[in-house]
Amino acid sequence: MKTKFSIGRLVFSIFLWLYAAFSLYPLIWMVFYSFKNNNEIFVTNPYGIPKVFHFENYVNAWSKYDVPTYFFNSVIVAAATVIITLFCALLFSYATSRMEFKGKTTLRIFLSIGMFIPVQAILIPVVKIVQGLSLSNTRWSLIFPYVAINLAFSCMIYYGFFKGIPLELEEAACMDGANIYQTFFKIIVPLVRPATATLAIYVFLAAWNEFILANVLVGSNAALKTLPLGVLFFQGQFTTDWGGMGATMVIASLPAILVYIIFSDKVEKAMTIGGAVKG
Amino acid sequence: MKKFRSNKLAIFLFTFPALLLFIVFVFIPILQVFAYSFTKWNGISAPEFTGLKNYIRLFTDKVFYTSNKNMFIFAILVTVYQMVFATIFAIAVSDAKIKGRKFFRVAYFIPVVLSVTVVCQLWLSILNAESGLLNTMLRSLGIDFQQNWLSDRYKSIYAIAFVNAWQWMGYQFALIVAGIKTISTDYYEAAQIDGANAAIAHRKITIPLLAETYKSSLIIAITGGIKAFTEMYIMTKGGPGTSTYTLAYMMYSSAFRSKEYGYGLAAASMLVLECLAAIIVINAVFKSNDLDAVKKKKRRLFA
Repeated sequence: MKTKFSIGRLVFSIFLWLYAAFSLYPLIWMVFYSFKNNNEIFVTNPYGIPKVFHFENYVNAWSKYDVPTYFFNSVIVAAATVIITLFCALLFSYATSRMEFKGKTTLRIFLSIGMFIPVQAILIPVVKIVQGLSLSNTRWSLIFPYVAINLAFSCMIYYGFFKGIPLELEEAACMDGANIYQTFFKIIVPLVRPATATLAIYVFLAAWNEFILANVLVGSNAALKTLPLGVLFFQGQFTTDWGGMGATMVIASLPAILVYIIFSDKVEKAMTIGGAVKG
Repeated sequence: MKKFRSNKLAIFLFTFPALLLFIVFVFIPILQVFAYSFTKWNGISAPEFTGLKNYIRLFTDKVFYTSNKNMFIFAILVTVYQMVFATIFAIAVSDAKIKGRKFFRVAYFIPVVLSVTVVCQLWLSILNAESGLLNTMLRSLGIDFQQNWLSDRYKSIYAIAFVNAWQWMGYQFALIVAGIKTISTDYYEAAQIDGANAAIAHRKITIPLLAETYKSSLIIAITGGIKAFTEMYIMTKGGPGTSTYTLAYMMYSSAFRSKEYGYGLAAASMLVLECLAAIIVINAVFKSNDLDAVKKKKRRLFA
């Protein structure tokens, strides 16, 4: 009985390792082929560590294929989305959780509709609205819709946080003569820092990796493309340079992977509260 | 103090930015989806009201049925794959006796943080019929199972669903790990005293007590199938023919390829309705069965 149990355990842990390899190997393979030339990728060494490291793939990606432009666009769009989303969400959820006015519950529920609306569904009208506001061919055409999409979830998380803070806190500040704006920025904003950090990671990853809206809004404008679109660029014109494509994919993935490795617990938490809330 | 909390100007300034952005970029668009789905519209000139015409056309369109069939295949494959693996791995890494738990967590989760386009592009080069890694591997192992993974009318949808399942398994895994953390260890001790082994304890305790988590997981997996778009867009362009179309892809191609915005929006409104229907049905099913059972189980465990 005892031996049977430990054989089971062994098989089980082999299975865990196999799936881990299955989950990681495609990424490792991508890194390998970003250093290979076509001959090595397809003929001489498709699986393993590159025999000769072709660093020029990265040089090419960076100098020939506009990767710096895509990278810059992604950084600007993701950073602006994070800042504006969190700022708007903080203000809104503060008002709906701690201030007193008629219809505050209605407002909060109204905004939370956003969580049930798939981006795919509103794609067409969003494109038309962006055109109507003459935002086409600007980075705002991505930033504003991204903010709007991430608001519902961010407000929900902040709302939960604010509900857990005792109301006496502002009373004390009020006694000391602070007005509401001072109280908000000096006391409230620093207090919800843990929620802000989690949400910043969540919104950053969402904006950094977003494809569907970016594809129709800036897909035809080379100067405004973000990295997820840049990766696809290779499908047409440069299908002969697989190494360069690999290098671009590695560059596109690196920031997200770094964020995950540095803040892994926070990232998992950020992504999973998103899921749990949707149920 | 009262004045402090009901400062009208502050309330306006605080709620206005979020409301404005939400109304302009989410709320008005969702209203427009339904309103314009009853019109003929080429995206440029004024929409022309045509009543139910788009919907009648949609319900008689073969592509609509292909899309819904693909949605089911996609949702079922993704759900089964993710639930089975995620549950096994989540239970494994929650067990302090397993070595390398931290490594496993990272290994299983990491595809989630990648861009869908990178993942699709990567699997495109793995699944490529001539030069792809998978067929090369099969050839060098002498296994005669090489396939046109992404250009076969019947099999492509499974390959696409697999790529999605592969990428997002880690997400469900993290959800279930978080769920398991909330279960008190007392249950397991009680089970051990009653003589249950680990497998039975997990089947009788962990899985039933995770009903809430499974509900969210199921909603995410199934609405994911309804919304599937990027994988098709990058890996097959909906093809061969229309064999890997989904509702989202149908909407995209009606609007942006054939400039039939009204028809595209009819597909979009079906997409929203199907997502809502899925959420309502799943909630109802979980409410009527599992939660009662869980409550009973909890009571029995405590008794």
